[in-house]
Amino acid sequence: MAEKLAIVCTHGPEDPERATIPFVLATAAQASDVEVVMGFQVDGMMLAVKGCADHVFAAGFPPLKELIDAYLEAGGELYLCGPCVSSRKYDPATDFIKGSKVVNAATFVKVFTEATNVLNY
Amino acid sequence: MSVTPDQTLDCSGLACPMPILKTKKAVDSLQIGQVLKMIATDPGSTSDIDAWTEKTGHQLVASEKEGDKFIFFIKRTK
Repeated sequence: MAEKLAIVCTHGPEDPERATIPFVLATAAQASDVEVVMGFQVDGMMLAVKGCADHVFAAGFPPLKELIDAYLEAGGELYLCGPCVSSRKYDPATDFIKGSKVVNAATFVKVFTEATNVLNY
Repeated sequence: MSVTPDQTLDCSGLACPMPILKTKKAVDSLQIGQVLKMIATDPGSTSDIDAWTEKTGHQLVASEKEGDKFIFFIKRTK
């Protein structure tokens, strides 16, 4: 069975370190030939809003935007929690960066159960 | 050091995980059997390169330390 890592991010720009580390792990996994999928719930989905991550910096880490760009360049996708998006009044058609997909619970269940490991931040 | 690199990548000053991401790209650009010389200043690079080569199957041929620089010679194996 191929290795697949699912990473769940629940913190947005209000917590730069918790917003950045999931992308550190995700990009390192991609570079290690491990398949990765990232899920964004609660305020974590804010990181996929256009422009939101552009000014998020955590001490000791590269700028978040740089990591997100690397994640996307390597083919990464961002699965955004549908109810979290709806409750914050974002438009899935226009408000998110490329690679974003708004999904609901059953999709998350499928993604998480298919993964060999799940990390929750 | 007797290893003659085919390409050199300077990751000095870069924070985790950028040295690994750049190393991955550089190794992918080599022919099988060629060697990358990677220079880093992040002390975590030593364990990271060990883990990365073990995970990916590429070979850490040699490593050394010069002042504050960590130098790795990595052979593309596949």
